[in-house]
Amino acid sequence: MNPLIFTTILMTVLLGTMIVMMSSHWLMIWIGFEMNLLAIIPILMKKYNPRTMEASTKYFLTQATASMLLMMAIIINLMHSGQWTITKVFNPTASIIMTSALAMKLGLTPFHFWVPEVTQGISLTSGLILLTWQKLAPMSILYQISPSINLNILLTMAVLSILVGGWGGLNQTQLRKIMAYSSIAHMGWMTAVLVYNPTLTMLNMLIYIMMTLTMFMLFIHSSSTTTLSLSHTWNKTPLTTTLILITLLSMGGLPPLSGFMPKWMIIQELTKNSSIILPTLMAIMALLNLYFYMRLTYSTSLTMFPSTNNMKMKWQFETKRITLLPPLIVMSSLLLPLTPMLSILD
Amino acid sequence: MMTYIVFILSVIFVVSFVGFSSKPSPIYGGLVLIVSGGVGCGIIVNFGGSFLGLMVFLIYLGGMLVVFGYTTAMATEQYPEVWVSNTTVMGVFLLGLLMEVMLVLYVLKSEEVGVVFKFSGVGDWAIYDTGDSGVFSEEIMGVAALYSYGAWVVIVTGWSLLVGVLVILEVTRGD
Repeated sequence: MNPLIFTTILMTVLLGTMIVMMSSHWLMIWIGFEMNLLAIIPILMKKYNPRTMEASTKYFLTQATASMLLMMAIIINLMHSGQWTITKVFNPTASIIMTSALAMKLGLTPFHFWVPEVTQGISLTSGLILLTWQKLAPMSILYQISPSINLNILLTMAVLSILVGGWGGLNQTQLRKIMAYSSIAHMGWMTAVLVYNPTLTMLNMLIYIMMTLTMFMLFIHSSSTTTLSLSHTWNKTPLTTTLILITLLSMGGLPPLSGFMPKWMIIQELTKNSSIILPTLMAIMALLNLYFYMRLTYSTSLTMFPSTNNMKMKWQFETKRITLLPPLIVMSSLLLPLTPMLSILD
Repeated sequence: MMTYIVFILSVIFVVSFVGFSSKPSPIYGGLVLIVSGGVGCGIIVNFGGSFLGLMVFLIYLGGMLVVFGYTTAMATEQYPEVWVSNTTVMGVFLLGLLMEVMLVLYVLKSEEVGVVFKFSGVGDWAIYDTGDSGVFSEEIMGVAALYSYGAWVVIVTGWSLLVGVLVILEVTRGD
């Protein structure tokens, strides 16, 4: 793609999300979502093969449906409150429709079916943008309408998402599908605590974005899209096997790493609000996620995976330089001692 | 009939939407788009918005749909699909018509429409009467406000349209 056009379209994706996050008029928020969707389609279709086109079409259809539902909820809200500002949604019907629309945009269950298929059909860099940047805009709207969200619907969607994200990723060997199911599960964790303490949603979003960025950049660095090709990293750059191990365990939520911080805070907040069965179930279902991360680390860093002899002697051409990778690795694994600083977020 | 004119026009609106979303060939889709555009203009005019209705006719029908018609005429196939030529298209069209007929009967029974939410009629655009400058209508004031207070909206929509053209050119360019 022409670099000038590519830059313009990428900047429009950023502009769309910025408009969603900083507008106070519902119509501008809808315009921001549409601008975001329109501009990301050619980024998803960077290579012109039928798989990327199918993935972009699926993404466009689901997100356009979600935007239409959002517009309907906005108009019902307008009819019942007479004003366009975002404070809270004044009508329960509009609130339910809006929550469903934003859940479709995020990829929560029962609207999660597009996430693995779209993530698998596009390149690693496009998948990175899809799973991190595109989650910011709907989550910011959910944050702003969080006082008026129906608790039952949101918690059902959250718990089912954690379940689907854990179970669905168990049979996968393609790395992009694994990251997609991981995204579904993390979105479930984020929306579970949204009604109780939205700050923790933002904290979880921040740490999830850091960890997913790190994982994708490690995959891009070794150009691997399957578990099998990831298991050859010991031959290319042995250091990244340790880094993959640490980052994957952090994504699974293990204690001395920073991925534990959001899970800990969320479970604490839920138990403070006298729901005990729910965080227990959520913590148990997060073990499913941890299982397939552990399987990746087993084949990548803990063992030298069996391969044919010619795979053991790879030519080293120029390695990709990813500048942001070392700080991201440090941030996605070592942030746990900073947890007492969360008191500044009040 | 004049008391129900908005209702009749909105029924024709929905039926023409069903007509093109059952996917006949684009030239016939354009035909029912013309009908739906004209009927939509009629609905807006009935609420007192004469300026916006004329905008729909001029810009939408007379500008965009004409260009659409010409490009579709250049790219048309030898035997375009009508609503009755393909079983699927006819089935979807009849299904949409059936749902609309059921909705119309349900609406005609009760005073207000309550399918998912209660909807009991909309108001007209307000008419302001200042002493010295005459009578203003709210919908023209809205268009004027778009270009004065709503400059940011104009910038955003203009940029969206420009990026829309760039995106469409990129997507259809292929290799």
